[in-house]
Parts: sequence; C-alpha cells; structure tokens
Amino acid sequence: MGYGRSDSYRVATTTEKDEKESPKKADTKAEKKIKDMDDLKKEVPLTEHKMSVEEVCQKYSTDIVQGLTNAKAAEYLARDGPNALTPPPTTPEWVKFCRQLFGGFSILLWTGAILCFLAYAIQAATEDEPAGDNLYLGIVLSAVVIITGCFSYFQEAKSSKIMESFKNMVPQQALVIREGEKMQINAEEVVAGDLVEVKGGDRIPADLRIVSSHGCKVDNSSLTGESEPQTRSPDCTHDNPLETRNVAFFSTNCVEGTARGIVVCTGDRTVMGRIATLTSGLESGKTPIAKEIEHFIHLITGVAVFLGITFFILAVCLGYTWLEAVIFLIGIIVANVPEGLLATVTVCLTLTAKRMARKNCLVKNLEAVETLGSTSTICSDKTGTLTQNRMTVAHMWFDNQIHEADTTEDQSGASFDKSSETWLALARVAALCNRAQFKAAQDQLPILKRDVAGDASESALLKCIELSCGSVKQMREKNKKVAEIPFNSTNKYQLSVHETENEEDNRYLLVMKGAPERILDRCSTILIQGKEQPMDEEMKDAFQNAYMELGGLGERVLGFCHLLMPEDQYPKGFAFDCDDVNFTTENLCFVGLMSMIDPPRAAVPDAVGKCRSAGIKVIMVTGDHPITAKAIAKGVGIISEGNETVEDIASRLNIPVSQVNPRDAKACVIHGTDLKDLSQEQMDDILRNHTEIVFARTSPQQKLIIVEGCQRQVRHTQTDGAIVAVTGDGVNDSPALKKADIGVAMGISGSDVSKQAADMILLDDNFASIVTGVEEGRLIFDNLKKSIAYTLTSNIPEITPFLFFILVNIPLPLGTITILCIDLGTDMVPAISLAYEAAESDIMKRQPRNPTRDKLVNERLISIAYGQIGMIQALGGFFSYFVILAENGFLPSLLVGIRLNWDDRSNNDLEDSYGQQWTYEQRKIVEYTCHTAFFVSIVVVQWADVIICKTRRNSVFQQGMRNKILIFGLFEETALAAFLSYTPGMDVALRMYPLKPSWWFCAFPYSFLIFVYDEIRKLILRRNPGGWVEKETYY
Amino acid sequence: CRADTGAKEPYFWNPRTHEFLGRTASSWGLILLFYLVFYIFLGGMFILTMYVMLLTLDDYKPTYQDRLATPGMMIRPRSEAMEILYNPQDTESWDRYTEALDIFLAPYNNSVQVQNNDDCLPDNYFIQEDSGEVRNNPKRSCQFNRTSLDACSGIIDRTYGYQTGQPCVLIKLNRVIGMLPGKDGQSPYVTCGAKKEDADAIGELAFYPPNGTFNLMYFPYYGKKAQVNYSQPLVAVKFLNISVNTDVNVECKINSNTLTTGGERDKFAGRVSFKLRITSSNN
Repeated sequence: MGYGRSDSYRVATTTEKDEKESPKKADTKAEKKIKDMDDLKKEVPLTEHKMSVEEVCQKYSTDIVQGLTNAKAAEYLARDGPNALTPPPTTPEWVKFCRQLFGGFSILLWTGAILCFLAYAIQAATEDEPAGDNLYLGIVLSAVVIITGCFSYFQEAKSSKIMESFKNMVPQQALVIREGEKMQINAEEVVAGDLVEVKGGDRIPADLRIVSSHGCKVDNSSLTGESEPQTRSPDCTHDNPLETRNVAFFSTNCVEGTARGIVVCTGDRTVMGRIATLTSGLESGKTPIAKEIEHFIHLITGVAVFLGITFFILAVCLGYTWLEAVIFLIGIIVANVPEGLLATVTVCLTLTAKRMARKNCLVKNLEAVETLGSTSTICSDKTGTLTQNRMTVAHMWFDNQIHEADTTEDQSGASFDKSSETWLALARVAALCNRAQFKAAQDQLPILKRDVAGDASESALLKCIELSCGSVKQMREKNKKVAEIPFNSTNKYQLSVHETENEEDNRYLLVMKGAPERILDRCSTILIQGKEQPMDEEMKDAFQNAYMELGGLGERVLGFCHLLMPEDQYPKGFAFDCDDVNFTTENLCFVGLMSMIDPPRAAVPDAVGKCRSAGIKVIMVTGDHPITAKAIAKGVGIISEGNETVEDIASRLNIPVSQVNPRDAKACVIHGTDLKDLSQEQMDDILRNHTEIVFARTSPQQKLIIVEGCQRQVRHTQTDGAIVAVTGDGVNDSPALKKADIGVAMGISGSDVSKQAADMILLDDNFASIVTGVEEGRLIFDNLKKSIAYTLTSNIPEITPFLFFILVNIPLPLGTITILCIDLGTDMVPAISLAYEAAESDIMKRQPRNPTRDKLVNERLISIAYGQIGMIQALGGFFSYFVILAENGFLPSLLVGIRLNWDDRSNNDLEDSYGQQWTYEQRKIVEYTCHTAFFVSIVVVQWADVIICKTRRNSVFQQGMRNKILIFGLFEETALAAFLSYTPGMDVALRMYPLKPSWWFCAFPYSFLIFVYDEIRKLILRRNPGGWVEKETYY
Repeated sequence: CRADTGAKEPYFWNPRTHEFLGRTASSWGLILLFYLVFYIFLGGMFILTMYVMLLTLDDYKPTYQDRLATPGMMIRPRSEAMEILYNPQDTESWDRYTEALDIFLAPYNNSVQVQNNDDCLPDNYFIQEDSGEVRNNPKRSCQFNRTSLDACSGIIDRTYGYQTGQPCVLIKLNRVIGMLPGKDGQSPYVTCGAKKEDADAIGELAFYPPNGTFNLMYFPYYGKKAQVNYSQPLVAVKFLNISVNTDVNVECKINSNTLTTGGERDKFAGRVSFKLRITSSNN
C-alpha cells in the first residue's frame, strides 16, 4: 500500500520524469523502492522558481496585481481541495482496541481460553455432571485478556490525548489578494495562483513563488534544519528550489520584512506535504519488546506443548480413555499459560511510561517504553535538539584577542573582561547599529527568554549587549539615530548615524556593522585598548587569523567599526542623505568582531557523554552547513576531543585529503551531496569504520537512508540489525523518525508532523531526557526479566499437582480456582513491585543489549524458573498437601491410586489409614483444605522467590530491601492468602477452607532452601564470571 | 524466530559443531548431571521432611478429626447411584444384592464373632483406656452377631426378603476413632422415612436390632491398628409392604443426643438417602 501511495504522488508531482519512467512500470518492487528514493533525492519537482513572474501568472491564470478572481479561486479550491495536509490515516478506535485485544501476548491467553471451552464442551458431551473448572478457567482467561486490553487501550488513549493537545487549534489565517482586494481568509482556503502577502511573524500559508519582497527573511529550520533565517527575494538564485531565494515554503515562518508571492502548491502537494505523505507511507517495524514477547510466546508454547504431548502419551499408556487424555492434554497446555503475566507486563510498562512522563518523556506507544533501552545508535538532528535554536553571541575579537561570551541558557558560563574601552565601543556599535528590539511587556522575563522583533543575529547582539551593558533602549535614547542605511546584499553592511551621549559634544557618531572583510576595507585605524592605532599589515594579519578561527568554529562573524565624524564637516543639523550618500563611509575605525552561533544546549554534552559510556553511538544528522555542524558536534562531544576527520589529518600533515588513510580518522563529516553518490556498501563502510559521524546538508530522504544504513549495521558480528533511535523536531526529520525503531520528537519546538511520526516526545525538548529514556528502558528490560522469572516460577507448583493427579492417582493437590488465585491474586503485586526494583549496577555503563543474544526470556530463565526454583516450590506445596492429608488420617502410602474411589460421589465410607470412614463431602473438604494449603505454601515459597528475583547477579544483601512496593507486596500477598483462607463464606465461594496455623509453616523450609540455593548460585556467579553457572543460569 | 535471524545452522543436529539441539555432548552431559544431582538432593530433602512429619504422627489416632464431627452413614448393598432397583420375579436383577450382602455379612457370623470378640455389657461404652504412656493393646471388641439382624440376617431368609418384595437394607454408621454417639446410656437409633411425595409408598418398616439402635457397647472405636477385630454395628431396615413400580426415595438418619446430622451440603453425614424401586410384572 505504501508503495502505491508514493507512486501516485510521484506521478502527480514529477511530470517531467514520468515520461522517462513509464516504460519501466513492470519493475520489481525492490527496484521500485530504489526508484522512489531516487525520485525523492531530486527533492522538489518545483520548476516555478525558474520561470519568470509572468510565466507563473500565466500558468495559474492569475494576475500580479489583482490576484485571482473569486470564481477562479473557488474553481481551484474545488479542484485541488483545501490547503491542508491530509492527516495521516487514523486508525479507527475499534481497530486500535482490537489490536490491544488480540495483539502479542493476548493471543496466548485467547488460545488458552478456547482450549478451555473446547475441553468443557468435550466434558459436557461425555459426562453427566461435568466439572465446571474448565468453563470457569475459560471465562476467567477471556476476562483477563479483555480487562488488560481495555486497560492498555485507555492508557494509550490517554497519551494520544496529550498528543492532541499539542495540535494548534487556532486556524491559520492568510492575507490574499483576490480581484484586487486584500482579504483575510483561512489558510485552508488558499488555492494555487492566489496572490499572498506575508509579513514578519506570519506562517507561510502555502508554497510561494516570491514576486516582491522588502527585507523578507524566512526561518526554514523546520524544513531544512538551517537555523539562520534566509533572505527571500524575487530572483532565482539556485536551480534547487530548496536553495533558491524566490520560493517560500508552506508552514515555515516569515521572521521579518514583508513579501508578496504567488501560491504554486497547496496542501499535500507542497514540499512539506510531500514529506508528510512520505512519512505516513513508511511502515515502522515491530518494537524490540514486541519481538521479545513473541520469542517468549514461542518458548512458553514449546514447553506447554512438549509437556502436554508427553503426558498425553503417558495418560494413554496408563489406560485412560482417549477423551480423558485429550482433556488432560488441554489441561496441561492451559496450565502453562501464565494468566497474570499479560497484566503484569502491561502494568510494568505503564508504570515506566508514567515515570518517564514525569521526567518529560512522553511515550505514545507502551511497547516503545523499552526500545530506548536497547538502542545502540542515536541519530540526532542538530537544530533545536542539540542546540537551542537561537543565535547567540559566542565570541568577540577586540584588543587583538578573542574573548569568549557566555552561551549557556542560564548564564552560568565564563565571562570576559568587560572593563576595556574597546569593549564599550564595540557594545555601543552593536547596540546602535541594530534594528532589533524587545517586544513590549516582557520586562519581568529573563533577558534570554524575551521575544525579539528582528533578525536572528541582531537579536543575538541585542541580548548580548543587554546582558552585559544594561538597557539597550536607554542607550539608544541617549544616542538618537539621525540616519540609517539598512543592510543589503550588495554593500553587505549596515550603518547608522547617531548623536553622541555627551550633550556638549556635537559630533555625530557613525556606526557600521557587516561582513568583516568589507568592514575592514573601510577602516584605516583600529581601536586597541580604547586608543586608535593605524591599521597596519600586522593588524590585518591578526584580523585575518581571528576571522578564520571564528569562521572555522562554524560561527557567523560580523565586523564592527565606528567613526566620530569631524564637527567641521558634519555640523549639528547636517542633513544625512541615505539614498545618495553624502557623508564619508571610508577611513573608519575598526572596533572588533563578534561571532554568533546557535549554541548547544547546556545539558547535551553531558548527555552525549552518558550515551557514549552506555555504548550508544551518537550520530549527528543535520540540514545545516558542515562547518557549523562540525563545530557543534565538537562542542557537544559527538566528535570527541582529539578525534580528527580526514580533512583535519590532511591539514595537520599538510597533505592532500586523498593521501590520508580513511581508517586513521575516527571521526568524519559527510556532506549531503557526497552522500548522494555513495553506494550502499560505501555507506555501510562509513558507518562501520567511523565512531563519530556527522552528516551535514542532508535532505529528509537522505536522513531516511542514513537511518536505514544504521539499522543494517551489524554489531558484534551478530546477524540482527542495530536498534536505531532518531531525534528531531522538524518536518524534515519525520520520515526518519517514522523509520527509526524509536522516533523521538521535541514537544515544544517540534512540528506536528514530527510528533505524529514519533514514538516518544521529549516534553522539555531536552536531549538529556533521552538519557533518562535509555536508563528507564534498560531498567524496565531487566526488571521485566525479573518479573517474568518470578511469575513463571509458580507455574511449576501449579502444573505438577495435575500431573501427579494423572500419573499416580492421588487426590488433586491444587485446583483451578486456587491456581487462578495465585496467578491473578497473590502473585500480581509482587510481580509488579519488581518493576520498581533499582538497578543492580550502573546500567548506563554497559553496552546496549544485543537483540539476538540477550533475550527477555531465554532458555536459562526457563531452566532456572521451571527446572530449579519451581521444583523446590512444588515440593513445598506437596509437602503441605501430604501433611494435611496425613494429619487427617490419610497417610501418603494410602493415597497413591486412591483417586477413583476418592472422587466417587457414591462412595461415602472410604476408609483412611486409621480405619475411619469418610463421606465424599468430608474428604472433599479435606481435599479443598489441601488446595488452600498448597496455595498458601506457594505464597510462602513465592516470598523467597520475589526476594531472589530482586537481583540477577548481586546478593540480596548487597541490593538491600529498599523497594517499599515489594515489601508492601509481601505483606499484601500474605494478607490476601489469609483473607481467602479465613473469611467465612470462602468455602462456598471459592472452596477455600481455614488452615490450622501450623500448616502455614510447612513450606518454610522450602522457602528458606530457595533463598539459600539462589544466594549460593549468585555467589558462584559473581566469583566465577563467565563460568558454567553463568552460562547455564544467568538469565 | 531462529530462522528470521538468517542463521541457517541446523538446530536439531549440527554436524559441524556436533551439537544436538544446540548443545554438544559434553554440554548435555554436564547439564543433565547437574539436574540429576539437584533432583536427588531435592528428593532427599523431601524425604527428610516427610520423615520428620511422619514422626510427629500418632500411630493410633490421627492428629485432627474435626472434619468427622458428624459420622457419615452408608447402606449395603451399595450401588453406583445409591439406587436399589430390581424385579422380584427376575432373580438375576437382585442376585447381586444378596451376594453383596452375603459377603458383607460373612465376618458377622456368630462363630467368627464368638471366636474373636467379647460379649460385652450392652448400653455402656466399652472403654479401654491406655494408662499413660503404656498402650493397652490390642484392644478387644464387642460381638455383633449376625443373628441379631433377625429377618435380615440372611440365615432364615437367604434372599434377605428380595425375592418376596420385602427387601432388607443394611445401614451402618461410619467408623470414627473415639466417637461417642450417645450419652446417659441412650444408644443412637436409626429412623427412616420417605421423601414427602413418596410418603404413602414406603409402607411399613421393620428395624433390626429392635428400634434400629447402634448399641453403645460398640463405641468408642480405637482405630484399626489397636482394635483389629472391630465389628462395626449394623442396623437393618426391612421394607414390609413397599409400593411396587414406583420410585421410593428413602432417607434414614441417626437419632442421637450427641450427634447432629450434617449441614445441607453433606447428604451422607448422619443420614443416608437412597432410591428403592421394585418393579413387578404381576401388577
């Protein structure tokens, strides 16, 4: 289906390619997929940017002044549909519900329930008074599945509700010109050909071909990942529509200026729409935990069928009838189904999801809770995820020295010497030659949080000056502006002329900022320590070095200069003419450089370091420029200190890049254009041989290819692919988010499309929250193992009574009702409490789990749970059973073979070992008392089991008993057992009878044995790492 | 799932690594040895605890008897669904009942009783206490002579009345060690009646021994180890003129000043119900 969709939009959009490809329609699917990718590499099939305005007008039969006619607009609207992204096909609620009801683990329980009904049907057909046990069991199993299904359905519904709250409910407005009239309409009603006007702060309503612009800049970061606003103008500057200046894209923002444009694409046909469609067409695979649960079901089914068949054959050999044997077979298979486990796993995952939500990780899909824990590679977007998405002054160069500015979000970083005269001059130039200003009514907010009207770099300067020198507004009031030349791309500077602060000084102050080399050209002196010095070659070299160095950091550098204009030439009241410049703009005094960057978030380097120590490879994938990307990568530790790229090595050794052995470089920066030419093998090679990788200038499609490449990566020579997490906020990230094993979107800055595609949302936009996610994911994986080990163990004492009932014809030691009381009653809270267990060791210091080797449930877990601990438990149960029967007069020797007489309703004088005679009811009460005692014994041995399951390697004495929920669980299960045994009426309701106090203690030795045995096992495990005990029993 | 991973190594028997089901011979050997030792140890532990438990038991009296507060009652001849159905004319149909009774009553033959048991003082408990730690064993039992069943003894009428349509049904009280079924010298006795709708059909009844009493001298019971030759007292009910060709639901119960009949749930505690149907082709 997904291919079909991609095809259709290709046909709809790439008209020129269609002819070439139509003969090859019969291609195989695989080739087709590659073709799709190739198509997408072409990015955008727009051609309008290359046409002249008239041609565009003609194409859409619109008018450059009058706009569309209302009739035409209505016609287009009817033809193209509303200008809105088709929401991804929403699954109907009942399908979602059914998925919960019949997915994964539930299937096992449903099979069990159906088998139960089948067994009951056989019994009902062949016996007069069929025992209701199978019927009840079937009903209970169904109820369990339905209840847990509802539970997880409502859980997910809750998080999707939070999702919905993200959606922007305010309808977007657009200003269109139709029939010469400006009108405000809903953005949905915009059609191709409409003449649209946008101004600073607006969202672009559709893909626009710009026809006129006044200092218009747009923020394309959500589409391309570039954090710097881009200028828009009517000229075509690039063949690639994404690079050219005369196209503005749907759902990007206009930051400043105004522009007018003709709508060329609307809705799903926009660039943004194509990416969204691509995203919804992608299939995301099964979550690792779903695979684990599948594996678990295979294992448990294997064991169940094996046991069932074995005892079926035995039963037939022992002379039971075929029908009886079939009922035994079903009984054994069903007895292997851990009824409570589905609920336990669901609750454990929910608890972790809640815990993560508290730490700002919202998980959309319960199963995704664990995925981050198994992640081995994180592909992170740069802008907004690793960085603050906010230009900030990072460095300054004055007094022939580079000074570092504080770029942290909370201004906790280092500061520089602010006493220099030059700094004051620089600050004055930066403040005055700056059109940005704070929006009104934000005085109470910290400076960095305030909204600024204006260009990103000017805002950065404004905030920087406001932070270090106080109110810029006052400074500007004191230095009234008398003239101004705004920035334009030809002269590449901006200047303004101001009055000076000093009332008596009638000179004017000229301040200028712009591209550093242009500024330098206009300067003849330079300000050093507040003193003007002639600009000599030495100074020029120093300037060049500083400029290169700052540029090399990926920063955007601006030069600043000023001039106090001689009063004789420019007396007070001089009429400055800015159009026809009548004043000097040469021989100025150079003050300094300031460079800006979108700085990394404070918590990111630490988080990257933690990921690294947790064995997770962090790859940066960004649409931004390589230099910037590399600088940020170095800043946050994605390229760690001391690691060089091929280019670094080349420049260090002064040899051409081609002579450097690529194996020597651990780090690499790959440009999107290079990526395009790489074969799959080369790609794999890069991903394998470099530990620190940055992809720059990548398109959404390339991000997808990178993610697929990472997923192909083979770790530790195993056959399974790596598990890849992708973080991102922009629309450009969403195909990758969807394709990833777990997509992580940003809650605040993230686009709706990205949130839709993601499995997890970081509510605080903080990359560091991912570390929490990894930690919680790993913890829940460990704890689920423990929980399952705990739950499975009690399966053995539940099955063996039935087996012995069949094999040696003893009265049934444990009934169906009591089994259900264990699985759905006493075992629940302790099993869930294991989800609260603290980690045994530093889980962030170990490698990610290997999906092929490190299974949730493996043979060793089954061996320990079934073969060892379960057997001890069964013996404990049988012991109490024999104690009760013996103390009531039936010695063990008498019991073997007694079954037929015991269960004969008409035999009311059955003789016991002492010669006493029993009615059916009387001995059944004893039998049910045995069931109760067996049940209580399981509770007692499960005390020990839950304590040993707290740890897999450490001793309980090392781990401690700090898990309060677990302690509560111990008391709860005991209280519940006592309640079930002693409450009057339970004999009728559940056929459970009060126990004599001494019977509670029967299983104590076995409980103790479990504890001692496992402590010894774990001691050997720790003493002898990698030894036989570890190989056979470490689950 | 193994196949998914692309590992095409044969799982059942891998000739390359000599692995059978994923394990080499020595690996199988080790794990099986481990489990063998482990289970032998567990078995030992279980036997030990069972042994300790059995040591705590008394050989002559079970630890708890609270479930036997009301002794059960049972009839002879007994059949699958507590039904006695026969046709007096058809010998085959009641033959098995009389045979069962013959076998059941054989130990009650006077000769056997006289040989093994004492002739006790009626209407008094036959108490044979141990003196402290010293067991007073073996304990004697009282004679219950077959002849005391009179018309139902099978001596006079070898067919126990089955042939004549006046069948005998024996009623016995379940043995419970130490049970004292009456006080003040009053022996418990059995009464029988029909369920409501059959009240007319049941006709007259005769009880043997007279009044349908279980004489107190047969109590208390000391268990089969101490009182090897214990003869369980019996009461015979003879249906003198029971209606033919109808189901008669009879309920007999014990009347005692110490025992109460069991609750609703147990239909055989202190009482016994059975169905009697005599078909007759003559009428």
